[in-house]
Amino acid sequence: MNIRSYAPVIGAFGLITMIFGLMMGFPLAVSFFLHDGATTAYDESVLITFGVGLALWYATRNTRRDLRTRDGFLLVSATWLILPVFAMLPLILYAPALSLTDGYFEAASGLTTTGATVLSGLDQLPFSINLWRCFLHWIGGMGVIVLVVAILPLLGIGGRQMFSAEAPGPMKESSLTPRIAETAKALWVTYLVLTLACGVALWLAGMPGWEALIHAFSVMGLGGFSSWDNSIAHYDSALIEGVIIVFACAAGLNFATHYRALHRRTLTPYREDTEVRFFALVLVGSVLMLTAFLMAQPEPMSLPTTLRHVAFQVVSISTSLGLASTDYGSWPMFSQLWLLFLCSFVSCSGSTGGGIKMVRAVILYKQVFREITLALHPAAVRPVKLGRAVVPNNILHAVLAFGFIYMVSIIILTLLLGGSGLEMVTAFSAVIACINNTGPGMNAIGPAGNYAGLTDFQTWVCSMAMIIGRLEVFTLLVVLTPAFWRK
Amino acid sequence: MQRYFPVLNPLGLIILIFGLLMGIPLSVSWLHADNALTAYDESIFITFAVGLLLWATTRSRKRDLRVRDGFLLVVLTWVALPIFAALPLWLYMPDMSFTDAYFEATSGLTATGATVMSGLDNLPISINFWRTFLHWIGGMGVIVLAVAILPLLGIGGRQMFKAETPGPMKESSLTPRIAETAKGLWVVYLLLTIACTGSLAAVGMGFWDALMHAFSIMGLGGFSTKDASLGHFNSVPIELVAMGFALLSGINFATHFLALRQFSPRAYLRDPELPFYFGVLTISILALSLYLSTFNVYDGFANTLRYVAFHTISLSTSLGFATSDYTFWPMFAQLWILFLGSFIACSGSTGGGIKLMRAIILYKQVFREVVRAIHPNAIKPVLLGKAQISDKILHAVLAFSFIYMVTIVSLTLLLSATGLELITAFSAVIATLNNTGPGLNAVGPASTYAVLTDFQTWVCAFAMLLGRLELFTLIVVLTPAFWRK
Repeated sequence: MNIRSYAPVIGAFGLITMIFGLMMGFPLAVSFFLHDGATTAYDESVLITFGVGLALWYATRNTRRDLRTRDGFLLVSATWLILPVFAMLPLILYAPALSLTDGYFEAASGLTTTGATVLSGLDQLPFSINLWRCFLHWIGGMGVIVLVVAILPLLGIGGRQMFSAEAPGPMKESSLTPRIAETAKALWVTYLVLTLACGVALWLAGMPGWEALIHAFSVMGLGGFSSWDNSIAHYDSALIEGVIIVFACAAGLNFATHYRALHRRTLTPYREDTEVRFFALVLVGSVLMLTAFLMAQPEPMSLPTTLRHVAFQVVSISTSLGLASTDYGSWPMFSQLWLLFLCSFVSCSGSTGGGIKMVRAVILYKQVFREITLALHPAAVRPVKLGRAVVPNNILHAVLAFGFIYMVSIIILTLLLGGSGLEMVTAFSAVIACINNTGPGMNAIGPAGNYAGLTDFQTWVCSMAMIIGRLEVFTLLVVLTPAFWRK
Repeated sequence: MQRYFPVLNPLGLIILIFGLLMGIPLSVSWLHADNALTAYDESIFITFAVGLLLWATTRSRKRDLRVRDGFLLVVLTWVALPIFAALPLWLYMPDMSFTDAYFEATSGLTATGATVMSGLDNLPISINFWRTFLHWIGGMGVIVLAVAILPLLGIGGRQMFKAETPGPMKESSLTPRIAETAKGLWVVYLLLTIACTGSLAAVGMGFWDALMHAFSIMGLGGFSTKDASLGHFNSVPIELVAMGFALLSGINFATHFLALRQFSPRAYLRDPELPFYFGVLTISILALSLYLSTFNVYDGFANTLRYVAFHTISLSTSLGFATSDYTFWPMFAQLWILFLGSFIACSGSTGGGIKLMRAIILYKQVFREVVRAIHPNAIKPVLLGKAQISDKILHAVLAFSFIYMVTIVSLTLLLSATGLELITAFSAVIATLNNTGPGLNAVGPASTYAVLTDFQTWVCAFAMLLGRLELFTLIVVLTPAFWRK
């Protein structure tokens, strides 16, 4: 196996890095425009990123060929593992006190749209730094949409083939590029339109212009970075929270469904989408249940206040956004656990959210029910259906194996964090919050705390958890097996 | 109502026999004159009478049992027997609540070993005898359940694991096959119990203690006659004997049966679970010993090895004896052992959890998915030994483990919603669902389940039943579809 066979992957990666470098021009321009004193952090970063990208791209220009499935795995993994290195440059150049570990964590948290942070004193940071952090969410969100709607289905990750039916374009195993480009364009337009709508709505709800923009980035990518240490609680405005709830829900739905709804100017696609029903049901049910639970506690807040905060937290955490409107770390343990439980499956496939995705949860649920029926009637023929389509056996296997390895990953990573000395509840919630790309966990890393208290090793474990979750476990796992590298 | 008579009839018979079995602690009590006599004669009378009544009134409608009847009979047996098993405890200690008595009896019959009682050392011997005897009876039930009944009901891919059991396969009638299998396995179980009692007595335990601990070990239960559990004896030979027989109980009894009948260890060599069983345990013991010795929990490596080996084997096979308070270990080591407990016991053993067989299938399936991601067109069946695992079994095993994990999550949420601290809630669910016994923190080896509220106690009792009946059996009976005609 020589290096030349990787040239097409390296070339594509170079191109991505180059474009990423150009994108850094945006915070640079903003920094320059606002005179916030962070300009020098960006010009060096832009130069390095663009330079590296150009060099990689130029060096491999003679070995272009179409990318194959195997290349796809490598490119996706490399992109998500290495881009944070460039993304952290502005952060560590501006704040030399930030260690590489923490810088990588923050950048990975941005690009995977997790929203877990090691930084505090956000309120005093130059505006362009906060912009860059939230812009990373937005770029990450774009990446995720393409990843989940166009790339992972082609790679066949965790039964994804099944969910790709709605994505436009022809299906060609041998060449990834044309299909991806076509799908991506359509979805990015949708993403852009929704982001603009979110920004304007936040601005109308009373957020200052620039803050509305960066929070719109954060919301649409379902990230969770804010420009304030106490997140959305800073504004203490029910109107702003309402806007965020609406757009977080929108970002938690399949963008392919949004695209078709916008394209055809009708709401039918939402009704036809099996996931939407379950999504709404679980959210409404959870809001009512948790409100009742909190009202039943001694000395509850008033019902409207409880409902407001529960609704915001349920939507924000379960879609994997991770903004907080109050310190829900002071709620009883059960309600926090319930929120973490939700974030592991509520987001729909093709959204910017994390977790195993609603469609897989629905399939798992139906499969369990089928097994119960089969136990009673061993000879019964009872296919698992999704809408009107029968889920074939290989998809079922893939989904079940996915659900299993997802849980095993949680157990192993929790043991790893616990083994390195982290208190158990913190360890468990950190893994859940990172692998589901949600952000805040419980106890030390709860909404009122941050990840700065972790040791370097623990921070790296969390960074990896975010990327593992973002790449739906298998993508990274495949690249890590010896079988992948054998020719 | 009449269509349930064929189920109620054998249930009556089982209760009747169970009533007769109470005669054994009665004689023990009489022999030792331990003042608990009255607790038993009333219990026997009630149990025997209920069983007889049930059996006699439903006698007219006897017919062969079908699959659906099998589900109901198994569930009713495991839910109803603890009520009768609780009677002697409840009658002897009137200030014990019915909830606690039912919990204790369920813990006995499901071979869990979680207790709400303390001051065991001062209890009449017959009460402790009854508690551990419940483990032993439960163990007999589990072996038949796991080797003969669940495969017929097709629970969680169990069909796959029955290949080695003797007897013909007839879907329409359960009885002859079960009777034949049961007889063979119970002889093995009895022989091993006698050997265990003898060995424990030989290394210095008194006869009665040896017998009761042998009951506990062979059923992989965990009740002891001492509050300090096996730590009371503080003897390396006793621990070694307990470890040896716990390991044997964690192996498929059908394999023991074959080995005994063929007078050759070939059956062990051909059991696909055993390499993983010994491999995982050996590596875990060595790794945990090294890990613990860096924390200086015990003096010296030999000492560390002694305690780590004992607790790893005791907790992962779902026995649940303790020789020291392992909650002083670093949290990681405790969790690792709980983690092992959820899959190490072999199918057809008296242990709990998802069973090693299913863990191996899951591992192979995940590996297959990885290969399939690289080579989408590759045909790579999941193999177990030389047998290929069908899609149907794979689905069943995957769905089983999924519902197992969902059960853990749901029950943990339920316990924590009622105000239990997270680690205690989580470990209580794991320890009861896997039928291990002791958990961590408030339900750790140094304390008991008595701290739980009534509701939490019922949840834990339910978890034990769920775990013992391999989830699906109980869940199937709880679905409306089961009751629709």
